[in-house]
Parts: sequence; structure tokens; C-alpha cells
Amino acid sequence: MSVKNWVLAGAGAMKLRHLLLIVAGIVSLYALLLLTNVNPGDAGHRLVKGTLGLDMVNGHLSFVSANAISGTLRETCPLLIAGIAVFIALQAGLFNIGVEGQLIVGALTCAAIALRIPGIPGIVLGTIGAVIMGAVWALPAGLIRAYRGGHEVITTIMLNSVAIYVTNGIVSGPLKDVKQESPTTPTLADSSRLPFLYNTSNAQISSGILIGLLLLVAFAFWLRRFVSGYELRAVGSNPVAAKLAGVKTAKTIVMSMVVSGGIAGLAGAVQVLGYTFRYYQDFSQGYGFNALGVALLAGSNPLGIIPAAFFFGLLTKGSSALQVLGIPKDSGFVVLGLLIIVFATIRYRKLISVTES
Amino acid sequence: MPVLEMLGISKSFGAVKALDDVSLSVEKGSIHALVGENGAGKTTLMRILYGATAMDSGTINLNGQSAHISSSAQAISHGIGMVSQHYSIIPELTNLQNLMLGAEPGWTISNKKAASRADELATRMGFSFDWNASASTLSPAGAQKLEILKLLWRNAEIMILDEPTAMLSPADSNALFESLKQLTEAGATVVLVTHRLPEVISHCKEVTVLRGGKFVGSKPVEETNTEELAEMIVGHPLTELAPHQAVGRETARLTLQNLSAKGYRGDLAVNGLSMELYQGELLGIAGVDGNGQRELFQVLTGGLKPESGSINWDGEDITSSTIGNRIAKGFRLIPEDRHAEGVIDDWPLEENAALGLQKQPPFANGAYVDQHGRKGAAEKIAAMFNTKHGGLNNPMSSLSGGNQQRFVAGRVLFLNPQLILAFQPARGLDIDATRKLYDAIRSKCLEGACAIVVSFDLDEILIHCDRVAVMHAGHILNPPKGSEHDRQAIGRLMVGAA
Repeated sequence: MSVKNWVLAGAGAMKLRHLLLIVAGIVSLYALLLLTNVNPGDAGHRLVKGTLGLDMVNGHLSFVSANAISGTLRETCPLLIAGIAVFIALQAGLFNIGVEGQLIVGALTCAAIALRIPGIPGIVLGTIGAVIMGAVWALPAGLIRAYRGGHEVITTIMLNSVAIYVTNGIVSGPLKDVKQESPTTPTLADSSRLPFLYNTSNAQISSGILIGLLLLVAFAFWLRRFVSGYELRAVGSNPVAAKLAGVKTAKTIVMSMVVSGGIAGLAGAVQVLGYTFRYYQDFSQGYGFNALGVALLAGSNPLGIIPAAFFFGLLTKGSSALQVLGIPKDSGFVVLGLLIIVFATIRYRKLISVTES
Repeated sequence: MPVLEMLGISKSFGAVKALDDVSLSVEKGSIHALVGENGAGKTTLMRILYGATAMDSGTINLNGQSAHISSSAQAISHGIGMVSQHYSIIPELTNLQNLMLGAEPGWTISNKKAASRADELATRMGFSFDWNASASTLSPAGAQKLEILKLLWRNAEIMILDEPTAMLSPADSNALFESLKQLTEAGATVVLVTHRLPEVISHCKEVTVLRGGKFVGSKPVEETNTEELAEMIVGHPLTELAPHQAVGRETARLTLQNLSAKGYRGDLAVNGLSMELYQGELLGIAGVDGNGQRELFQVLTGGLKPESGSINWDGEDITSSTIGNRIAKGFRLIPEDRHAEGVIDDWPLEENAALGLQKQPPFANGAYVDQHGRKGAAEKIAAMFNTKHGGLNNPMSSLSGGNQQRFVAGRVLFLNPQLILAFQPARGLDIDATRKLYDAIRSKCLEGACAIVVSFDLDEILIHCDRVAVMHAGHILNPPKGSEHDRQAIGRLMVGAA
């Protein structure tokens, strides 16, 4: 597939339902603004300025704030990588609700390693450690599903709780920065951070987003062009037919869960190395859960993860930009919740008409 | 006066004209057969009558009066009921709950009262049911009977049965027709959609033939015969049947020794079975459903581990070899349940073409998918049995059932098959396509492969297979010398009588 085809495929992933969804998002935001008694025009202006950095200057639409777009990309990056993690499990027919836990376990592991080993070796080893720990955290759920039939939704939710309390315990104890009041690790040295793509005093764009994009392209290629990708999708679409086609379904389930966990761990590592530079209590603001929405929104085409993650990032950054107007920050999540319901209705309506016929 | 008249019915799906000015007239108290190839429009016509599909134009008269039917609820209130090809029995519910489902007597349910009415209906038909038993224990014949009782429960006067005998043994089919006869004598009317012409000749009063969405003709059954009907259905004289091949039993390719395997109930569904399959052989296994045919196939494909015994292929013990390894040796399966086992509905045809063959060229190039090779292969697979499709990028679900079956059969024969395992391969195929499929299997056998076909339709096996065996209670029984193709002798073996 040529580059042009890739772009076309990406555009193809952007279907009518996505447009509908964006319209629904704007409408529900508008309704929310009316409820909170805020002038929608003013809010819209702030929203565009606060997320994309665009504003009207002397009657021309101009780019005025690098800070705004860098903040949006910062929110997009973990959702993009964690979205890939959810998506790969989904392709094998598994709901990995445990991305949240796998992500924080990976983040803590990465911070612990990068704090001890300075420079590029620390970055590399920290990332590898995070991937391994994320994978290890997902492994039990995969094994239980494949060989005992225990549902991965239940086991991964349990593993999330374990992850949250274990990481909180560690960051309050052995890894705590003694100079700080709150439970957090010390901050990484500059040499232990991912390089910036853009770096000025008021805005930085980390190369983390680039890692996410490259990973996504590689993953999309693997899914379509490798026999193992084909087999994984077959297991997700019809496990019985896949088994009769000679696919080792149990192994495929375990593998996809482990890879999903590994990528979730990577999302945690990138977050630490590229954005937060430390690990602290309650590290993830629900990235793993929002990633479920991202993967759902992406539909069946992996390239759909890009617009979906960006859209989620936009809403998250947008709701903090609107805080100035007295709109609670969590209102963004209200809108997200509404959107996921609308999307599910559009997407799964078809299933019902099939069962009726 | 006919109890049911459908006049000038037309229906298009997009650009496809599924029905073009079709008429049907059914006398009260008769069994009226509706026959035709796949895609002839039989099911569409019946779905229009049942209110499940809206017609574009035409009229429906019931007892001489024009009737407006735009939903299944309206059809039911007019006394029309339908049993589709796929049973709608819910295994998690009891028989009684299934019977009432959707037509409960009121806001509250008295199981006692309901069971007594259910018993009354069952006795009228000569059936008997344990109403509190779980429906998961029903045999296919039992499920079919329950479906018919569901229609009676809803006071249906006109019953549409879509391929009711597709899953039944000859004995069960005969019993079913006995019950239908009783029903029609009591004043009910049956419209029977079927592929099986002998059934039409022996049990129906009138027959209507459709072809390509058009009305071909209606005849009293006593004025016609299977050959004439077959020609009306396909529109031209049928291809000659290939003669049975006598195979020199020289090279045994598949040897099963003392093979036992557990069924889903935990009993030994395959029970100490031994048999040999020779190079070039096309073996048909007849038998009543539920005698271990399914488990035998699962053991042969590698999906079920045998409890004891051995499987030898070309002299090599493959008892514990995986499904994938067997596929690599040339084992190919036409599965019983195409939807659940053979295809991925929402994938394009091109990707479905590779299913099972995904590791081998031309579908793969090492670890990579060979997209070019796969496309070419998919074209050949679709062409083998003239699968009608709107493009290889369309999803499998866009094909009719018969065309899906053609595609699956094409895939099985595409890449050097050595052991062809076919479970009810003619399901959903018309007469001509069935002949072509068996011819293609036989020509692979003549090239050195061998094949085992399981069917519950004894006639299909007698007509098409070179050697006939019977599966009964987990054993393979061979008909006595001199009556290898004798219907009576084989029928006796099927019910376990020597």
C-alpha cells in the first residue's frame, strides 16, 4: 500500500457517523453552556483559542497560541497510545478494561528505572521495563480467558484495583521523594527525558506523540499485511471459524492480551519520559478508560484512532480552557459520555436490524 | 375458492428484482409445495406473506377478501404462521416457555393452564413433550415439532414451513408429514418451501415453481414427476449424473482404529469406530442425526481429542496432530454450520477466501499476507461454482446462503485437497449445484484424494457417493454384500436393525 493509499484509508475511516458525532458533540456542548448561563459565542471563541490556538486577529484567522495546541497534543498522546492498546485487544475480541492499570504500572516502572540510570540507557531500559510490566499485568487476564474461560472484563477490573493500590503504596513508600510533602517520585534529570519536537519558553511539543503515530502505522500495517495479524482478526471476528481454520485461538488470545498490556505500559512510559517527568499518586486521569472510548470511536480501521484520540484530547483540553468561564472541568467528560452513547447507538443499530430479519 | 391468493407480487432489493409479477394460489386443507433454485424468490415471497418483508406491488387475498399485511403481528392475527429455516428455539428456556414466547396468555402466566393447553395441542398432532424440560435437550426433529406447535398455539390456519426437513432423518420426515396430513385434514393449510422433490411427489397436493423471481408454473402433483419438476426449476435439462466409480482398494490413506470420542453430553458419541478410506474413494456416511457424525468429524479435523484409538494418515499416526498441521497435509472441511464455522460474515470475500489456507501460498508469502495472490485465488474460488457476488470486496454477509455455500465449497477444493470432509454439503444448494459439487469432489478423488460426506439425506448419498456406509450409535456399519446401494438395506442399518 502506498502512502497515498494510507492517507485515503485514513480519510475513509472518517465516515458519516464521525461527522454526526462531532455535530452531536458541539450541540451537547452548546446545551451545557446554556445550562451554565455562559455566552456560547464567548465560550466557542475561548474553546477554539484554548485548544487549537486559533483566533481572529484584524479579521484574519491566525495562529496565536502554541501553548494551546501543545496542551491538546499532550492530552492526545496518552489516549493515542492507550487507544492502540485497547484496539489490539478489541480486534481479538477482548475488552481490555485493564489498560488503566497496565499504564500506571508501566509508568511507575519506567520512572523507577530512569531515576537510577541516567541518560539514553535509562530512557531505553525504562521503556522496555514499562512494556514488560504492562504485559505482565495483562498476562493473568489473558491466561484465565484463554484456558479457563474467565471473562477478561472482570479480571482486568480486578487487576486495575491491584495496580492502583500497589503503585500508590510504592510511591508513598520506597520511591517517595523525601523532600516532597505529597506522594511523588523525584523529578527526572533533563537527560532522562524524551526530546522535544518544539520547545520555547511557553510551549513544548514532546516527541512522544511521534512515537504514538509510528506505533500506530506499524500496528495497522501488521494487522493487514501479516498472517499473524489476519489470524488475530479472525479470532476476534469468529473464534470457532478461526479454530477450524487452524488458528491456535488460545495462544492468540494470550498473545493479544500481552501485547495490549505492553502497549499500555509503553503509554505510561511515554507519559513519564515526555510529559510528567515523575510518577505521582493518582497518576492517570482515566487515560485507560477514555482509551476505550477512543478505540470504540475508531471503528474497525486502526487509522481511525488518530482522529478519535485527537478529538478526545481536544475535548479534555477544551474543558480546562472553559474553566475560566466557571464551567466545571469535568463537564468535558459529561460530553464525552454522551458522545459515546450516541456513537454506540449509531454503530450498533445495525446489529438489531440484523437480528430482526 | 382458494384460501390464499397472492397476485402480481413484485419486490426489488436495490437493482435486483427478487420477485417479478409472481402469483400463488393455495386451496384450503392442502399441502402446497413451493420449489425453485436458490435465489428464485421462494423465501422472499413467503416473508411477504408473513409480513416480514414489504412488497412493492401486488395483492394478497385471504378467503377471497383482500388483506393488508404489513407486519408479522398482522399476519398472525390473520391466522398465518411461519417456521423459518433457522429455528427460533431458545435453548435456555423450557419447552413451555418457548411455546408461549411472544404469545403469552396474559400479564400473568399459569404454567398449569398453559401446559394443559399445550398438551391438548400436542395430542392433536400425536406429539408428546416434557413441557418443563429445557429446550436445549431437544433433537432437531423435536425442535421442528415444537416450532409447529408454536404456530398452533398462535391459532395459525395457514402455516408456512421453510425447508422443514433439512435437518431431519427420513423417519422423522415421514412422521412430520403424517402430522401435517392430520392438520390439513382438520382444515389447516400448509405452504411448504423445499428443495427435496421426492417429498413434493409423495406428500404434497399441488406445486408451484419459481425461477429467477418469476412464476414458472403451478401443477397438481399427480400430473407431474421429479424429472419434469427438476427441469422446470433449472430451466434446462439437468446435467447427466456421473456414474459411480468402483475404486480399487489398493492404498488405504486414512485408517481409523478403535476410535472413541466423547460427545457434548459426556457419553461416547464415537464408540470404538474402525474404518479405512482408500485413495480415490468418495464415501458417503448415511445415518440419523445425532449418531456421532458430528463428533467423528470433529475428531478428524483435529478439533476434538479422542478418548482412545488412533488416526493414521498415509501411514503416519496423526492422532494428536493439530488442526493446522492437518490442514497442511491437505485436510479440508465443508462445515455443517457455515455461518458459525466456515466464514466470517463481515469480512470481504477476498479475506474469507484465505480462511484456513492463510499460511500457504498463494495466500501467504512467509509471514506476510500475499494480497495479490489472495485476490487471484479468491477470483478462482468464486468462479469454481459460479458464486454470484457483487465484487470481492463485498462482505460475505452480502451473499445469499446458497452462494456462500458455493464459495466455501470452492475454497475447500481450491488448494490441493487430500482428504475432503463435507458435512451436509448440499445444504442450501439446488439440484444442479449439488451435482456440480459432487462432480468436482469426485474429480479430485480421481486425482488421488479421498472424501467423506455426511448427510442426513439418504437419497443424496445414494445418488452421489461411490461407497455408502451408515453411522449408528457411534459405529460405522457397512451394508451387506450385494446391497451396497440398496435403499431398504441401508435404511434398516440407519435405525439399528440388522
